[in-house]
Amino acid sequence: MTAEARIDGYAAAILEVARGEEQLDRVGDELYRIARAFESSVELREVLGDPRVPADRKLGVIDDLLGERVSPLTLNLVSFVVSAGLAVELPAIADRLAERAAAETGKVIAEVRTAVDLDQETLDRLAEALARATGKRVEVKSVVDPSVIGGLVARVGDTVIDGSVKRRLDDLRQQLSR
Amino acid sequence: MLNLFAQVVYLAAAEGEEPEGIDLVLPEINELIGGVIAFAVVFAAVWIWARPAIRRALETRQQAIAGQLEHAEEAKAEAQSLLEDYRQQLARAREEANRIVEQARHQAEGVRADLLAKAEAEAAERRRRADEEISAERERLAASLQDQFRDFSLEVAQRAVRQTIDRDAQLAIIDSTISEIGGLSLSPDGERS
Repeated sequence: MTAEARIDGYAAAILEVARGEEQLDRVGDELYRIARAFESSVELREVLGDPRVPADRKLGVIDDLLGERVSPLTLNLVSFVVSAGLAVELPAIADRLAERAAAETGKVIAEVRTAVDLDQETLDRLAEALARATGKRVEVKSVVDPSVIGGLVARVGDTVIDGSVKRRLDDLRQQLSR
Repeated sequence: MLNLFAQVVYLAAAEGEEPEGIDLVLPEINELIGGVIAFAVVFAAVWIWARPAIRRALETRQQAIAGQLEHAEEAKAEAQSLLEDYRQQLARAREEANRIVEQARHQAEGVRADLLAKAEAEAAERRRRADEEISAERERLAASLQDQFRDFSLEVAQRAVRQTIDRDAQLAIIDSTISEIGGLSLSPDGERS
Protein backbone atom coordinates (compact mmCIF):
# COMPACT_ATOMS: atom_id res chain seq x y z
CA MET A 1 0.00 0.00 0.00
CA THR A 2 1.37 3.37 -0.94
CA ALA A 3 1.59 6.26 1.49
CA GLU A 4 -1.10 8.15 -0.40
CA ALA A 5 -3.47 5.19 -0.26
CA ARG A 6 -2.74 4.73 3.41
CA ILE A 7 -3.41 8.40 4.14
CA ASP A 8 -6.61 8.24 2.09
CA GLY A 9 -7.71 5.12 3.92
CA TYR A 10 -7.18 6.53 7.39
CA ALA A 11 -8.83 9.83 6.44
CA ALA A 12 -11.88 8.00 5.10
CA ALA A 13 -12.10 5.83 8.20
CA ILE A 14 -11.88 8.79 10.56
CA LEU A 15 -14.46 10.60 8.47
CA GLU A 16 -16.91 7.77 8.79
CA VAL A 17 -16.33 7.37 12.52
CA ALA A 18 -16.74 11.10 13.18
CA ARG A 19 -19.82 11.29 11.01
CA GLY A 20 -21.26 8.26 12.79
CA GLU A 21 -20.71 10.01 16.09
CA GLU A 22 -22.12 13.22 14.58
CA GLN A 23 -18.95 15.12 15.52
CA LEU A 24 -17.48 15.55 12.08
CA ASP A 25 -17.04 19.33 12.28
CA ARG A 26 -15.54 19.29 15.74
CA VAL A 27 -13.27 16.33 15.10
CA GLY A 28 -12.19 17.81 11.78
CA ASP A 29 -11.32 21.16 13.35
CA GLU A 30 -9.52 19.62 16.29
CA LEU A 31 -7.52 17.24 14.13
CA TYR A 32 -6.59 20.13 11.85
CA ARG A 33 -5.29 22.20 14.75
CA ILE A 34 -3.44 19.22 16.22
CA ALA A 35 -1.83 18.62 12.83
CA ARG A 36 -0.62 22.22 12.63
CA ALA A 37 0.73 22.05 16.16
CA PHE A 38 2.48 18.81 15.26
CA GLU A 39 4.05 20.49 12.23
CA SER A 40 5.30 23.47 14.19
CA SER A 41 6.73 21.51 17.14
CA VAL A 42 10.07 19.85 16.51
CA GLU A 43 10.03 18.15 19.91
CA LEU A 44 6.57 16.70 19.32
CA ARG A 45 7.61 15.35 15.92
CA GLU A 46 10.76 13.82 17.36
CA VAL A 47 8.91 12.06 20.20
CA LEU A 48 5.88 10.84 18.29
CA GLY A 49 7.79 10.06 15.10
CA ASP A 50 10.64 8.13 16.72
CA PRO A 51 10.03 4.37 16.32
CA ARG A 52 12.33 3.67 19.29
CA VAL A 53 9.95 5.47 21.66
CA PRO A 54 7.45 2.98 23.09
CA ALA A 55 3.82 3.41 22.03
CA ASP A 56 2.71 3.73 25.68
CA ARG A 57 4.94 6.73 26.16
CA LYS A 58 3.67 8.34 22.96
CA LEU A 59 0.09 7.82 24.08
CA GLY A 60 0.96 9.29 27.46
CA VAL A 61 2.36 12.40 25.78
CA ILE A 62 -0.80 12.75 23.68
CA ASP A 63 -3.03 12.34 26.68
CA ASP A 64 -1.05 14.93 28.63
CA LEU A 65 -1.17 17.44 25.79
CA LEU A 66 -4.70 16.93 24.50
CA GLY A 67 -6.60 15.18 27.26
CA GLU A 68 -8.65 18.13 28.40
CA ARG A 69 -8.45 20.27 25.30
CA VAL A 70 -10.14 18.08 22.71
CA SER A 71 -13.10 15.79 22.59
CA PRO A 72 -12.65 12.19 23.72
CA LEU A 73 -13.35 11.01 20.18
CA THR A 74 -10.61 13.19 18.73
CA LEU A 75 -8.22 12.00 21.43
CA ASN A 76 -9.04 8.38 20.62
CA LEU A 77 -8.59 8.91 16.90
CA VAL A 78 -5.21 10.58 17.38
CA SER A 79 -4.14 7.79 19.71
CA PHE A 80 -5.29 5.29 17.10
CA VAL A 81 -3.17 6.89 14.37
CA VAL A 82 -0.11 7.20 16.63
CA SER A 83 -0.49 3.59 17.82
CA ALA A 84 -0.46 2.51 14.18
CA GLY A 85 2.96 4.13 13.82
CA LEU A 86 1.65 6.87 11.54
CA ALA A 87 2.31 9.90 13.74
CA VAL A 88 4.44 11.55 11.06
CA GLU A 89 1.53 11.28 8.65
CA LEU A 90 -1.00 12.77 11.05
CA PRO A 91 -0.89 16.24 9.36
CA ALA A 92 -1.52 14.70 5.94
CA ILE A 93 -4.37 12.57 7.29
CA ALA A 94 -5.95 15.63 8.97
CA ASP A 95 -5.63 17.66 5.75
CA ARG A 96 -7.16 14.84 3.70
CA LEU A 97 -9.97 14.50 6.20
CA ALA A 98 -10.72 18.23 5.99
CA GLU A 99 -10.63 18.13 2.19
CA ARG A 100 -12.98 15.14 2.07
CA ALA A 101 -15.39 16.69 4.53
CA ALA A 102 -15.40 20.01 2.70
CA ALA A 103 -15.74 18.34 -0.68
CA GLU A 104 -18.88 16.53 0.44
CA THR A 105 -20.50 19.93 0.94
CA GLY A 106 -18.96 21.49 -2.19
CA LYS A 107 -16.45 23.55 -0.23
CA VAL A 108 -12.71 24.09 -0.30
CA ILE A 109 -10.50 24.40 2.74
CA ALA A 110 -9.27 27.87 3.68
CA GLU A 111 -6.49 27.74 6.25
CA VAL A 112 -6.33 30.93 8.27
CA ARG A 113 -3.43 31.66 10.56
CA THR A 114 -3.78 34.33 13.23
CA ALA A 115 -1.89 35.25 16.37
CA VAL A 116 -5.09 35.02 18.47
CA ASP A 117 -8.14 32.77 18.54
CA LEU A 118 -11.01 33.94 16.41
CA ASP A 119 -14.63 33.81 17.49
CA GLN A 120 -17.25 32.18 15.31
CA GLU A 121 -18.67 35.47 14.10
CA THR A 122 -15.28 36.58 12.82
CA LEU A 123 -14.74 33.18 11.22
CA ASP A 124 -18.09 33.45 9.44
CA ARG A 125 -17.28 36.92 8.11
CA LEU A 126 -13.91 35.68 7.01
CA ALA A 127 -15.51 32.73 5.20
CA GLU A 128 -17.88 35.08 3.40
CA ALA A 129 -15.07 37.42 2.40
CA LEU A 130 -12.92 34.53 1.12
CA ALA A 131 -15.92 33.11 -0.79
CA ARG A 132 -16.44 36.48 -2.50
CA ALA A 133 -12.77 36.81 -3.32
CA THR A 134 -12.26 33.28 -4.65
CA GLY A 135 -15.72 32.57 -6.03
CA LYS A 136 -15.77 29.31 -4.08
CA ARG A 137 -17.53 28.10 -0.99
CA VAL A 138 -14.91 27.80 1.69
CA GLU A 139 -14.59 26.11 5.01
CA VAL A 140 -12.26 28.04 7.28
CA LYS A 141 -9.73 26.13 9.36
CA SER A 142 -8.35 28.51 11.94
CA VAL A 143 -4.83 27.98 13.28
CA VAL A 144 -3.24 30.03 16.03
CA ASP A 145 0.28 30.91 14.95
CA PRO A 146 2.14 33.49 17.09
CA SER A 147 4.71 34.00 14.32
CA VAL A 148 2.03 35.92 12.41
CA ILE A 149 2.36 38.65 15.12
CA GLY A 150 -0.79 40.41 13.93
CA GLY A 151 -3.39 40.29 11.17
CA LEU A 152 -3.93 37.00 9.31
CA VAL A 153 -2.62 34.73 6.60
CA ALA A 154 -5.22 32.88 4.56
CA ARG A 155 -4.44 30.04 2.12
CA VAL A 156 -7.05 28.65 -0.24
CA GLY A 157 -5.52 25.94 -2.38
CA ASP A 158 -2.49 27.57 -3.98
CA THR A 159 -3.75 31.09 -3.28
CA VAL A 160 -2.19 32.88 -0.31
CA ILE A 161 -3.52 36.14 1.12
CA ASP A 162 -0.97 37.54 3.54
CA GLY A 163 -2.21 40.44 5.63
CA SER A 164 0.04 39.74 8.59
CA VAL A 165 2.21 42.14 10.54
CA LYS A 166 5.05 39.68 10.01
CA ARG A 167 4.76 40.11 6.24
CA ARG A 168 4.82 43.89 6.60
CA LEU A 169 7.93 43.67 8.72
CA ASP A 170 9.49 41.33 6.14
CA ASP A 171 8.64 43.81 3.40
CA LEU A 172 10.25 46.54 5.44
CA ARG A 173 13.32 44.35 5.93
CA GLN A 174 13.60 43.79 2.17
CA GLN A 175 13.23 47.48 1.44
CA LEU A 176 15.97 48.29 3.92
CA SER A 177 18.19 45.62 2.36
CA ARG A 178 18.12 47.29 -1.07
CA MET B 1 156.09 34.36 -53.53
CA LEU B 2 157.94 31.85 -51.33
CA ASN B 3 159.63 30.45 -54.38
CA LEU B 4 160.71 33.88 -55.51
CA PHE B 5 162.16 34.64 -52.11
CA ALA B 6 164.00 31.31 -52.05
CA GLN B 7 165.52 31.95 -55.43
CA VAL B 8 166.70 35.40 -54.45
CA VAL B 9 168.34 33.99 -51.31
CA TYR B 10 169.94 31.21 -53.31
CA LEU B 11 171.37 33.55 -55.93
CA ALA B 12 172.70 35.83 -53.27
CA ALA B 13 174.51 32.99 -51.59
CA ALA B 14 175.86 31.75 -54.90
CA GLU B 15 177.50 35.12 -55.77
CA GLY B 16 179.32 35.28 -52.54
CA GLU B 17 179.87 38.96 -52.96
CA GLU B 18 178.67 41.52 -50.55
CA PRO B 19 176.66 44.30 -52.25
CA GLU B 20 177.11 47.82 -51.32
CA GLY B 21 175.16 51.08 -51.72
CA ILE B 22 172.16 51.10 -53.91
CA ASP B 23 173.05 47.52 -54.79
CA LEU B 24 171.87 46.58 -51.40
CA VAL B 25 168.41 47.52 -52.56
CA LEU B 26 168.44 46.68 -56.24
CA PRO B 27 168.32 42.98 -57.15
CA GLU B 28 170.55 41.40 -59.68
CA ILE B 29 169.02 41.33 -63.13
CA ASN B 30 169.10 37.58 -63.37
CA GLU B 31 167.51 37.33 -60.01
CA LEU B 32 164.94 39.77 -61.12
CA ILE B 33 164.19 37.83 -64.31
CA GLY B 34 164.00 34.56 -62.44
CA GLY B 35 161.83 36.13 -59.90
CA VAL B 36 159.61 37.63 -62.54
CA ILE B 37 159.37 34.29 -64.31
CA ALA B 38 158.69 32.47 -61.13
CA PHE B 39 156.12 35.06 -60.18
CA ALA B 40 154.55 34.77 -63.62
CA VAL B 41 154.45 30.99 -63.36
CA VAL B 42 152.94 31.12 -59.96
CA PHE B 43 150.58 33.89 -61.02
CA ALA B 44 149.52 31.95 -64.12
CA ALA B 45 148.98 28.83 -62.09
CA VAL B 46 146.96 30.71 -59.60
CA TRP B 47 145.07 32.55 -62.35
CA ILE B 48 144.35 29.38 -64.26
CA TRP B 49 143.52 26.93 -61.50
CA ALA B 50 142.89 28.80 -58.31
CA ARG B 51 140.98 31.73 -59.62
CA PRO B 52 137.97 29.75 -60.97
CA ALA B 53 137.82 27.81 -57.78
CA ILE B 54 138.00 30.95 -55.75
CA ARG B 55 135.52 32.58 -58.07
CA ARG B 56 133.11 29.60 -57.78
CA ALA B 57 133.58 29.64 -54.05
CA LEU B 58 132.87 33.35 -53.95
CA GLU B 59 129.86 32.96 -56.22
CA THR B 60 128.63 30.08 -54.16
CA ARG B 61 129.20 32.10 -51.08
CA GLN B 62 127.53 35.11 -52.66
CA GLN B 63 124.61 33.00 -53.77
CA ALA B 64 124.36 31.49 -50.33
CA ILE B 65 124.42 34.91 -48.76
CA ALA B 66 121.94 36.17 -51.32
CA GLY B 67 119.73 33.15 -50.61
CA GLN B 68 120.07 33.72 -46.92
CA LEU B 69 119.28 37.35 -47.41
CA GLU B 70 116.31 36.39 -49.53
CA HIS B 71 115.22 33.89 -46.89
CA ALA B 72 115.77 36.53 -44.28
CA GLU B 73 113.66 38.95 -46.29
CA GLU B 74 111.01 36.33 -46.77
CA ALA B 75 111.17 35.47 -43.12
CA LYS B 76 111.01 39.12 -42.26
CA ALA B 77 108.09 39.62 -44.60
CA GLU B 78 106.44 36.54 -43.20
CA ALA B 79 107.12 37.72 -39.71
CA GLN B 80 105.78 41.11 -40.65
CA SER B 81 102.71 39.46 -42.13
CA LEU B 82 102.29 37.31 -39.06
CA LEU B 83 102.78 40.34 -36.89
CA GLU B 84 100.20 42.21 -38.93
CA ASP B 85 97.84 39.25 -38.72
CA TYR B 86 98.50 39.03 -35.03
CA ARG B 87 97.82 42.71 -34.63
CA GLN B 88 94.68 42.43 -36.67
CA GLN B 89 93.57 39.40 -34.69
CA LEU B 90 94.42 41.20 -31.49
CA ALA B 91 92.45 44.22 -32.66
CA ARG B 92 89.53 42.00 -33.66
CA ALA B 93 89.79 40.17 -30.37
CA ARG B 94 89.75 43.45 -28.54
CA GLU B 95 86.81 44.62 -30.58
CA GLU B 96 85.06 41.34 -29.97
CA ALA B 97 85.86 41.51 -26.30
CA ASN B 98 84.61 45.08 -26.16
CA ARG B 99 81.52 44.09 -28.08
CA ILE B 100 80.88 41.14 -25.77
CA VAL B 101 81.43 43.29 -22.71
CA GLU B 102 79.16 45.96 -24.12
CA GLN B 103 76.56 43.39 -25.07
CA ALA B 104 76.79 41.83 -21.61
CA ARG B 105 76.44 45.25 -20.08
CA HIS B 106 73.40 45.95 -22.23
CA GLN B 107 71.95 42.58 -21.34
CA ALA B 108 72.65 43.16 -17.68
CA GLU B 109 71.00 46.55 -17.90
CA GLY B 110 68.07 44.98 -19.73
CA VAL B 111 67.76 42.23 -17.13
CA ARG B 112 68.06 44.76 -14.37
CA ALA B 113 65.45 46.96 -15.99
CA ASP B 114 63.17 43.95 -16.53
CA LEU B 115 63.61 42.81 -12.94
CA LEU B 116 63.01 46.31 -11.70
CA ALA B 117 59.93 46.71 -13.87
CA LYS B 118 58.66 43.30 -12.79
CA ALA B 119 59.25 44.10 -9.14
CA GLU B 120 57.51 47.43 -9.53
CA ALA B 121 54.61 45.78 -11.35
CA GLU B 122 54.32 43.12 -8.65
CA ALA B 123 54.45 45.75 -5.96
CA ALA B 124 51.80 47.78 -7.76
CA GLU B 125 49.65 44.66 -8.17
CA ARG B 126 50.04 43.83 -4.49
CA ARG B 127 49.11 47.38 -3.57
CA ARG B 128 46.11 47.23 -5.88
CA ARG B 129 44.95 43.92 -4.40
CA ALA B 130 45.51 45.19 -0.91
CA ASP B 131 43.51 48.30 -1.73
CA GLU B 132 40.75 46.18 -3.22
CA GLU B 133 40.72 43.86 -0.22
CA ILE B 134 40.64 46.79 2.15
CA SER B 135 37.87 48.41 0.14
CA ALA B 136 35.92 45.15 -0.06
CA GLU B 137 36.43 44.51 3.63
CA ARG B 138 35.31 48.03 4.41
CA GLU B 139 32.22 47.53 2.26
CA ARG B 140 31.54 44.15 3.86
CA LEU B 141 31.92 45.67 7.27
CA ALA B 142 29.64 48.55 6.37
CA ALA B 143 27.09 46.14 4.89
CA SER B 144 27.36 43.89 7.92
CA LEU B 145 26.88 46.80 10.27
CA GLN B 146 23.98 47.98 8.17
CA ASP B 147 22.44 44.51 8.23
CA GLN B 148 22.99 44.22 11.96
CA PHE B 149 21.50 47.63 12.54
CA ARG B 150 18.56 46.79 10.29
CA ASP B 151 17.95 43.43 11.99
CA PHE B 152 18.29 45.02 15.40
CA SER B 153 15.87 47.78 14.48
CA LEU B 154 13.38 45.31 13.08
CA GLU B 155 13.75 43.06 16.09
CA VAL B 156 13.05 46.02 18.35
CA ALA B 157 10.10 47.01 16.20
CA GLN B 158 8.80 43.43 16.21
CA ARG B 159 9.05 43.20 19.99
CA ALA B 160 7.41 46.56 20.34
CA VAL B 161 4.57 45.44 18.10
CA ARG B 162 4.17 42.18 20.00
CA GLN B 163 4.01 44.04 23.30
CA THR B 164 1.73 46.81 22.20
CA ILE B 165 -0.68 44.86 20.05
CA ASP B 166 -3.41 43.55 22.35
CA ARG B 167 -6.38 41.40 21.44
CA ASP B 168 -8.53 44.36 20.47
CA ALA B 169 -5.81 45.65 18.19
CA GLN B 170 -5.39 42.15 16.76
CA LEU B 171 -9.09 41.89 16.02
CA ALA B 172 -9.13 45.36 14.51
CA ILE B 173 -6.32 44.42 12.14
CA ILE B 174 -8.08 41.15 11.31
CA ASP B 175 -11.35 42.97 10.65
CA SER B 176 -9.54 45.37 8.38
CA THR B 177 -7.91 42.48 6.53
CA ILE B 178 -11.27 40.71 6.17
CA SER B 179 -12.73 43.85 4.61
CA GLU B 180 -9.82 44.00 2.18
CA ILE B 181 -10.23 40.31 1.30
CA GLY B 182 -13.90 40.89 0.54
CA GLY B 183 -12.93 43.48 -2.03
CA LEU B 184 -10.46 41.23 -3.81
CA SER B 185 -11.05 39.28 -6.97
CA LEU B 186 -8.54 36.45 -7.09
CA SER B 187 -7.53 34.27 -9.94
CA PRO B 188 -7.44 30.55 -9.07
CA ASP B 189 -3.66 30.37 -8.77
CA GLY B 190 -2.89 33.98 -7.97
CA GLU B 191 -1.43 35.41 -4.83
CA ARG B 192 -2.54 38.65 -3.27
CA SER B 193 -1.38 40.18 -0.09
